Amino acid sequence: MAMVDTGDVRLHVQRMTPKGGRPVTATAVLVHGLLTDSLASYYFTLAPVFAVSGIDVIMYDLRGHGRSERPESGYRLDDHLDDLEALLDRLEVTGPVQLVGNSFGGSVAFGYAARHPERAAGVSLIESEPATAGWAATMDGVLRQVLTELAHNEAAALAWITANRSQNTARLAKGAARLARETTLARDIPVSQVLTEDQIRSVRCPVLALYGGESALVERAPWLESLLPDCRTVVVPGHEHSVLVEAPGTVGDHILSMIGEGTGKQGVAERGSAERGVAGRGVAEFARVEGR
Amino acid sequence: MNPSQPTGATDDELVPIDNELAPTGDVLVPIGEELARADEESVLADLTGMLATLLDEYGLDDVEVRMETTFNRDLELESIDLVTLAGLLEERYGDRVNFAEFLAGMEFDEIIELTVGRLVEHVVQSLKVAEAG
Repeated sequence: MAMVDTGDVRLHVQRMTPKGGRPVTATAVLVHGLLTDSLASYYFTLAPVFAVSGIDVIMYDLRGHGRSERPESGYRLDDHLDDLEALLDRLEVTGPVQLVGNSFGGSVAFGYAARHPERAAGVSLIESEPATAGWAATMDGVLRQVLTELAHNEAAALAWITANRSQNTARLAKGAARLARETTLARDIPVSQVLTEDQIRSVRCPVLALYGGESALVERAPWLESLLPDCRTVVVPGHEHSVLVEAPGTVGDHILSMIGEGTGKQGVAERGSAERGVAGRGVAEFARVEGR
Repeated sequence: MNPSQPTGATDDELVPIDNELAPTGDVLVPIGEELARADEESVLADLTGMLATLLDEYGLDDVEVRMETTFNRDLELESIDLVTLAGLLEERYGDRVNFAEFLAGMEFDEIIELTVGRLVEHVVQSLKVAEAG
């Protein structure tokens, strides 16, 4: 297990590189979602497929999550951007990277591209959007619900989850409640500094935005396309917010194609995913993200 | 000074030596099985050590690990623990064992039911393939 000290926080990092002397065609940084999520959602799904396709894959646990350190405070979007910036500096990754983010992780990925356009080769958003005032209001609602239902009535909420979902989900929810209770995360995120439409427009690299057809976020697709100079949106029918964990093969294929177009190696991406088929669905569901 | 004693001792020593020098097909099969069992036992011992390292972080020591122990229900491991386990396996076995690929090929229910024994078998098998290839 690799821990990287950014100077502010110790972050858990995992890296998967192409094996057998295969040349690296791109570097991708994968950012996971909030509360119940960790880099495990990528480790057993997209990451091995990407590495086989010639991509140097960097995954890390956001502060407070997974195996990373859990400071009491510092969970605004800018804090996460500072963490990512420092992490890549420590890893000496200076060239442009492909940023991939699921849910909140996508807002981090996009924020990083807006802050450092020269360091972003592309952005893939999975069930996500750039951080705007509307985003902050939505996050506030979701996080308030977590705080009231889980942090304050935890026993009842967990009993309901165990009865109606599974023991595994209840265990994840318990971890999420602990994170919400022990840190300022739920209060910090809604007061994050957000992007203006001009700042969003300034992201000129290719952006791929994937949504589940049944997700409320799918409404954001036309808005994103109208705003960004180079944006393609993909809707995966029959899925909601958990499209990454429910259909990792489809999600991975779309992202690989986009990365492949950027490097002129489309065929590589296709071969890589075909070798694997629908990879890692089981583990992804095991690490299933409930909510966002 | 009973002459039969040294004679008997000599006979006892000679019997196993004869067997080792001239193993028959009948003798080789159980030795092969025994080796496979020894492999499983040593891999199980390795895994038990790794799981002890993992569970220690949760303040759990003294958890009994057997072939039928499940990762999810019995050990209550979360997916991030499986990432750590993947790292420990890589430290021990290098590229010969790919835990991420092993899990990536499974359905959700299989992971929930995954036992230590199934991973032991996978490791033993992977090591054999690596040795042969």
